Amino acid sequence: MAEFTAAVYQNEFLPDGGTDVNAIVTIACSGAGTAGQTGGGSAGEIIIVDTSGSMGPQTMAAAKQAAQAALAEIVDGTWFAIVAGSDRAMLAFPKVSSGPGMVQMDAESRSQASEAIGAFVGSGGTAISTWLDLAVTLFASVPEVNQRHAILLTDGENREGSNKLDAAIRNATGVFQCDCRGAGTDWQVAEIRRIAQALLGTVDIIPQPEQMQAQFQEMMRTAMSRGVAEAQLRVWTPQGAQVLFVRQVSPTVEDLTDRRTDVDALIGSYPTGAWSDESRDYHVAVRVAAKAIGQEQLAARVQLALGTDVVTQGLVKATWSGDSELTAKIDQQVAHYTGQTELAAMIQEGLAAKAAGDEATATTKLGRAVKLAAETGNDEATSKLRKVVDVDDEKEGTVRLKRTIDKADEMALDTASTKTTRIKK
Amino acid sequence: MSATTCPSCGAELAADAKFCEGCGKPVGDPAAASGTPPAAAPDAASEDLGSGPISAPTHITPVATEAPPQGGRRPCVSCGGNVGPDQYCEQCGTKQPSERDHFREAPAPWVAGVCDRGIRHTRNEDAMALLASSTAGERAALVVLDGVSNTDDSDQASLAGARAAREVLRTPLPRGMGTPESRLSAVTSVFADAVKAANDAVVAITPEGSDHPPSATFVAAIVEGSTLTYANVGDSRAYWLPDGAPGVQLTVDDSAAQLQMEAGMSRLEAETGPQGHAITRWLGRDAPDLAPRVGERTLDAPGWVLVCSDGLWNYASEPEALVAQIAAAGTTEPGALALALTGFANAQGGQDNITVALARIDGQNADAAPTDKAEQKESDG
Repeated sequence: MAEFTAAVYQNEFLPDGGTDVNAIVTIACSGAGTAGQTGGGSAGEIIIVDTSGSMGPQTMAAAKQAAQAALAEIVDGTWFAIVAGSDRAMLAFPKVSSGPGMVQMDAESRSQASEAIGAFVGSGGTAISTWLDLAVTLFASVPEVNQRHAILLTDGENREGSNKLDAAIRNATGVFQCDCRGAGTDWQVAEIRRIAQALLGTVDIIPQPEQMQAQFQEMMRTAMSRGVAEAQLRVWTPQGAQVLFVRQVSPTVEDLTDRRTDVDALIGSYPTGAWSDESRDYHVAVRVAAKAIGQEQLAARVQLALGTDVVTQGLVKATWSGDSELTAKIDQQVAHYTGQTELAAMIQEGLAAKAAGDEATATTKLGRAVKLAAETGNDEATSKLRKVVDVDDEKEGTVRLKRTIDKADEMALDTASTKTTRIKK
Repeated sequence: MSATTCPSCGAELAADAKFCEGCGKPVGDPAAASGTPPAAAPDAASEDLGSGPISAPTHITPVATEAPPQGGRRPCVSCGGNVGPDQYCEQCGTKQPSERDHFREAPAPWVAGVCDRGIRHTRNEDAMALLASSTAGERAALVVLDGVSNTDDSDQASLAGARAAREVLRTPLPRGMGTPESRLSAVTSVFADAVKAANDAVVAITPEGSDHPPSATFVAAIVEGSTLTYANVGDSRAYWLPDGAPGVQLTVDDSAAQLQMEAGMSRLEAETGPQGHAITRWLGRDAPDLAPRVGERTLDAPGWVLVCSDGLWNYASEPEALVAQIAAAGTTEPGALALALTGFANAQGGQDNITVALARIDGQNADAAPTDKAEQKESDG
């Protein structure tokens, strides 16, 4: 049985008239078990592989190998399907045209699916909306599957109107989680990130075909370790308070503020997807009415709920004090993640400005990113930034854009922009 | 006490629980705690919620916790909403005071009190202990101690002292040899015993080698029919506030401000001056002199006996100011009025702990009264 714990990091002391309360809530899960094996329903996996004409022979061969490696990681008993995607989506396995569109994994289905993957041929364009729509249909055809996850591989830009993709993303949101990977450098990071963020998944670049197999294996292994099918973050705030934002800040920055659904007038629920043995950090900011010095109140209860069961909670407090030594301090964790959140924004905005030809803005923003990465000890971001800019002064954030940049390095910086590091003790 | 419910929040407990799953507080056998004062007498239909854990660290075992009222927690002190097991309001989030920080007693429908931390202090060093017979106006004892800030464990000491004094005052006061003088002398001796019992309790709690031994003021008022008898050490007060007539401050403070007033300074100037809250006599290991000032008065009209700490009179020292607040509250229910006066003091800033103990006098109880004159009598000891 999975166990959850919560810890709160904050400076609860507010100055006279202070209203804004910030806290980092760390939620940790242990004993999660294996997806679909904990008695709470069945797990379903769909592997979606781009089979458009743009997939070169080498990439296609690697993609087949990768899909087979992922297949090998799926635990027996798990419901699964294989989708081949081009300008339309095709159900490659199971080969059915009606009824349940997924089958349970066993030795036979595994070998048949492997054969189906081996028969992939690249042709046609790329219409990712149809891939997502088919996945929704397939999951819907097996109602007992309540933990739904897909991995999606593409190598090219989506060739359809963006409103089509937006509609498909909306349609899939809350239905399944999706980890997305881009092969090579001909795909759009922002486009694929939009899918991954909405579907509570990860996004990354696979620059070289030979790295594909290991990535797929890892992705599916992680998915299989998520024994907790679905959890929601619940935030209670007192009457009259305002939730300024709710963000996941570790392992990646994901703004959840707009994904609130009301449980009741005071409690909002935010999706967090499935959990393995892991810990995640959330940054919650709440505005409360100021009280008199000496008064204490609860600013938020941050809870994790499985269905309607609250499994852990952390209390975010506010105490008004006239002691400026107490009130002036910013909690170390809050400061750290505030910096990391800005770092992600600076990288994305800097790269967007660079792509738009605005070198001045790009230089300023990426310079700020270099400074923040150094200050918050994000070594991965620092090393990825240094492949895109020459750093004159790390402390001041003075940089110059490199004249020649490997496209893959730039995309890797972009996909990794939301990854955060934990505070160094 | 049965071990099946939490003494702090009333939640059900597992058979061998060491901590309450509801509120997280340790679940000890209350009877095993040292320094346990006698529980309220059966006639004291008490809402006394005991002392609970104290906000500030202390050196000694807290005074035992008494049972919570039936049905668990009180509604939120701020908005009246439900209070969760973690002591925060589920509606407005306000932190609920611990039972030591805010407690109420209502031993009979005509007697009630509120003892509250106020706003600025981090713990409640005031204490009160009340008792009353169920017949309105028959007999009541109201004891208030104000623990001195910056002394060790004065929150513990004041509560232990108040309860010890209440036990001494439980039996009816002696009538003496028949003359008012002999009666006053006999009564003075009882109050001296009550002060001594309170002082002994305070000293008993004093940590060994303390450089700041706990100390407290003392004020007690006894209503017996139409006779009100009172005694004090320090600057906690008793007032008589008849309905629709001028009220009177009965006790005389042992304070620097009182000395200044006697030397001709105005009340306002003296009480708000730098020495306004310096007391000249107190209870505790380093007490200079324990003899209380004792007095009595005949209650010949409907009205209120008020016993309070400076947390209230800081904001309404003159009897007229108190009468105005009583009129503003517009109630003859003592519990509601005690809450209203506490709320008034908090609204004014709540700079100190606030204790308000009240007895409602309906003025119809002349039967049990001694036939003494209405004038106030006083004795220094």
